[in-house]
Amino acid sequence: MSIEDWKSQIKRGTLEFCILLMIKQKPSYGYEIISTLEKYPIIAAKENTIYPLLRRLLKEEYISSSWQESIEGLPPRKYYSITNKGQEYLSMMFVEWNHLLNVVNELKGE
Amino acid sequence: MLSMNSKGNKIMEKILDEYLTKFEKYLKPIAVSERMDIVKEMKSEIQELQNNGISAEQIIERLGNPKELAKSYLGDLLSKESGFSWNRFLTICAFYSLVGFSGMVVIPCLAMIAPIFIVFGIVAPILGAVKMIDYAFNLHLSYVANIQIVLGGITELNPIVEFIATLVIGIFFYYVGHSAWKMLVSYCKKVSKTKNKLSI
Repeated sequence: MSIEDWKSQIKRGTLEFCILLMIKQKPSYGYEIISTLEKYPIIAAKENTIYPLLRRLLKEEYISSSWQESIEGLPPRKYYSITNKGQEYLSMMFVEWNHLLNVVNELKGE
Repeated sequence: MLSMNSKGNKIMEKILDEYLTKFEKYLKPIAVSERMDIVKEMKSEIQELQNNGISAEQIIERLGNPKELAKSYLGDLLSKESGFSWNRFLTICAFYSLVGFSGMVVIPCLAMIAPIFIVFGIVAPILGAVKMIDYAFNLHLSYVANIQIVLGGITELNPIVEFIATLVIGIFFYYVGHSAWKMLVSYCKKVSKTKNKLSI
């Protein structure tokens, strides 16, 4: 397995977590989310990944959405914000994430 | 120069509109209201990219084939269908109809044939033997006269021949009863196996 395969597996496994973290900070829309992710190659993903993922999170009711109609020449934007259910899910993910970091540290022998 | 530019813009708009039309077409399995929302969001994404100076060609290259883009939305829908699909539903209906109808005939018939034929197969030679012993030793036991093979018009056979006949018939009936029992067991096993395979 090449390092690229491993990186894409990490991305697949953490993208949901990262998106929820971002939306928790402040409500955001697809383009903004994609642009932010692009700053970090390890989790950068394109439209064909992010939009379906957002839709799935919406269906699971971890996030909610509302359209903000076009103002001052800006296109209409669909804003996503985190729900209570999403907050709970995120905190559970956080526990597991910290757990994983601890395991890695322990295995490193530090 | 300005008119050239606006003409160029128009062509760009047309390319993007065509892209969105195709995208919408491939989203068909999704309900109309949701599909419209998806297309609206993708249109918004395209406008954002345009506002940031990305050309129509670059946008289309970035989003990829409209069919593939639509598929990435459908992926979720398709995997969900494994939980309940029309095909699976029909398979289950067909299975139970078949089992129901065949069970109504097969199970009672075999369940009746098996024990009756086995018992007859055992009893017939015993009775034949009793009659033969009665005949050989001249015991003249009461009721034994009632034991006889009635075959068409021939009622009086030599008891030894009768015994051999009952033995042959008995073995035959026992064999039929035994196979009926085996068929019943394998029928039930097969049904439960198929049922497990369908994971109903």
